[in-house]
Amino acid sequence: MEIIESLKLKEKEYIEKLDNGMTVIIIPKPELDKKYVIWGTHFGSIDNRFIMPNSGEEVFIPDGVAHFLEHKMFEQPNGTNSLDTLMALGLDANAYTTNDHTAYLFECTDNFYEGLDEFMDYVQHPYFTDENVEKEKGIIAQEIKMYDDEPGWRLYMNTMDCMYKENPIKIDIAGSVESISKITPDVLYKCYNTFYNPSNMVMVVCGNFNPDNILEEIKKRLLPHEKQGEIKRIYPSKEKEINKPYNEMEMEVSLPLFAIGFKDMEDNRNKEELVKKHIAIEILLNMIIGKSSDGYKELYEKGLLLAEPDMDYEFSDEYAHIVISGQSQEPEKVKEKVEESINFFLENGLDDEHFNRIRKKVYGDYVVEYNSVGDIARMFLSDKMKGINSFDYIEKYNEVTKEYTETVLKNVFKKDNMVMSVIRGKK
Amino acid sequence: MNYIKKEVKQGINLHNINTNKFKTNLYAVFLATPLSRENVTKNALLTAVLRRGTKNIESQVLISKKLEEMYGASFDCGIEKTGDNHIIKFYLETINEAFLPEKEELDKKCIELLFDIILNPLVQNDGFKSEYVESEKKKLKQIIDGKIDNKRTYSFERCVEEMFKDEPYGLYKFGYVEDLEKITPQNLYQYYKELIKKCKIDIFVSGNLKDTDINNLIENNAEIKALEARKSEYVENKENSEKIPVREEKVVEEKMQVGQGNLVIGLSSNSQIENEKFVMSVYNAILGGGANSKLFQNVREKNSLAYTAGSTFRRQKNTIFIRCGIEIENYQKALDTIKEQIEDMKNGNFTEEDMENAKKLIVSSVKGISSEQDTEITYYYGQELSDTFTTIDDYVTKINNVTKSNIEEVAKEIWINTVYFLRD
Repeated sequence: MEIIESLKLKEKEYIEKLDNGMTVIIIPKPELDKKYVIWGTHFGSIDNRFIMPNSGEEVFIPDGVAHFLEHKMFEQPNGTNSLDTLMALGLDANAYTTNDHTAYLFECTDNFYEGLDEFMDYVQHPYFTDENVEKEKGIIAQEIKMYDDEPGWRLYMNTMDCMYKENPIKIDIAGSVESISKITPDVLYKCYNTFYNPSNMVMVVCGNFNPDNILEEIKKRLLPHEKQGEIKRIYPSKEKEINKPYNEMEMEVSLPLFAIGFKDMEDNRNKEELVKKHIAIEILLNMIIGKSSDGYKELYEKGLLLAEPDMDYEFSDEYAHIVISGQSQEPEKVKEKVEESINFFLENGLDDEHFNRIRKKVYGDYVVEYNSVGDIARMFLSDKMKGINSFDYIEKYNEVTKEYTETVLKNVFKKDNMVMSVIRGKK
Repeated sequence: MNYIKKEVKQGINLHNINTNKFKTNLYAVFLATPLSRENVTKNALLTAVLRRGTKNIESQVLISKKLEEMYGASFDCGIEKTGDNHIIKFYLETINEAFLPEKEELDKKCIELLFDIILNPLVQNDGFKSEYVESEKKKLKQIIDGKIDNKRTYSFERCVEEMFKDEPYGLYKFGYVEDLEKITPQNLYQYYKELIKKCKIDIFVSGNLKDTDINNLIENNAEIKALEARKSEYVENKENSEKIPVREEKVVEEKMQVGQGNLVIGLSSNSQIENEKFVMSVYNAILGGGANSKLFQNVREKNSLAYTAGSTFRRQKNTIFIRCGIEIENYQKALDTIKEQIEDMKNGNFTEEDMENAKKLIVSSVKGISSEQDTEITYYYGQELSDTFTTIDDYVTKINNVTKSNIEEVAKEIWINTVYFLRD
């Protein structure tokens, strides 16, 4: 096993690539009572067109299949549901689907290995019938409607619509009531057989484990599988510009919601560089509109911001963008302030004291991520899906200088790549 | 046990939780006062005003800068209803000094900053700084008006309000717009001074720290020294809660533009059984605690009526709330299905296996309490406000001792108090 140690965090990571192509990551936390395991496949809502490695068949799938598949994995031929079985052991089990991966997980204090039996069994045994697929459509339709009523989610989707013309990030993770109506057991099996091959999967465990022992326990629960070739995923070609600079929608909200986006058009294939860039972007966002920034101070005092906006840099090989979101009586004023701060920094450079202070804050934010088995395991999985090792955020931290950060500011926070989406209350 | 409590002065306690599980130390200060319509809005506003600035650090931006300098230590405050108390909560989380890139005395800075914010506010003309009060009034108004934004929490709050109408617990924790207008920088400051004199104060420290060092820092803090001993006013939570006389179920329907209907049902109990809250807790887990629960299985899985279907138990009020998001036209069907489940519980239509599953669910979450710093603090604070102290181990034992006949006995005394439905 490969061992990576972070001296600053006083944590170790054990990595093993198994013969069947699956990656196992182990982060021992002997001082904790909770254990956590998460098993992810590199298959998310954006993967809607691909070539099956074995047959060479090109497949188009309806929107929402990855999420639908996640729901259906729990159902067993004997009529039981694995989620129930895991919960009955007193484990906290769940699953989720994102743009670029699907993950199954459970957390527990006791009965870990009984849980692992059921957990690894159900993820390796799909069972889809016409009947059970039909029944799920009703449940997922309710889930879609629940999200449709959430202004925050609608705002996010509208922001993606501003930034991208064709990119599959625009697809709702759950699909639509119409698209899921087309899902059949055949589609689900095709996707399962393609994406749930071990070579497309990563498992992360975190808790009080001996790395060699837990690795053996995992291996003996894996079914034999032939290693498959690369899955060719087909995405629309990269767009060189935004779709539209602005959109708005009316919903029942008391105060307008806004999202300001910056589409990042740079080539992000060098992952070590990407980590540095990510750190720099977090520093910049804090400097532009974070709690201690002049921009935030002014907006807060005028009552135009109630709280620090949420700030996020989201990326994969297919998309990359920054989203600053919050609530404000006058979203345009917030946008103006953001632009003004960016221009100020572009013209005058970053202030040393400000930069160093925010850099310390960002360091602290990374350390806090290591407080719970769940946070750690989810972070390692999600970073791994993007080709990143989570420790790098701490290790590369020193390389992010003021000059480097200024370059990122110039390349990413461009006016031409800026969008805004607003949700206003009904008149 | 890793928990030690010490009285600093009458009415002011210091609680140490020693743990090596985290990269952080967490400091929390709780001010408890009885919930009342008169004070609920003031408390909410006060919390917001205090974080704006102190005599030493006059603005929020300066406070933020200080926190950033401390490796992004995070300060937060808020208000909560715990039983019939309104709790003003302050938290400061910082990285444990062992994980800093270079040596620094973060803990000392944390303690100074935290008490400075709570006990040394910026005062002008015998009132809080009026600019801060005015802008926080505006913001609080937006928060109160913003209640409707999240339909699920809105529905839940509305059900609580209807169920506990004219009682302290029915009050909205952020208060009321009409009461805001009467508040001035001066009368809010007067209220604050009274509150600080009379409220129950609890200070929690969690982390890998030396008790003696940290306690010295706290007890020798100038702001803490200046506080007077008090016979604190708060409502002790009773392990055997008072009963609400059974009445006909109250049905409330409200219309708003929504795509999905939100159904919330409040259940009360009139049982006299010993350890009632532990029995209720197991009852709740069987009814709607998780994926194995009757509600999840019957409302969601069997009838595809909802994506969310479950229930939560509010221990201090001995109340169970059932919540589900449904297709509006399925209201009657969902309600009937839920009532069938409650009847089933009365008739003992649940298995030993259901009991075991429910207990495991609760025990596992109780055992997980010490894996989260704020949850562990909340647990011990809950004990502090209660008339009985239950250790985490005792809690587990009491849950495991609940029998099927205990559940049936309680189930017979459980009744539907309020049905709330938000629809279009």
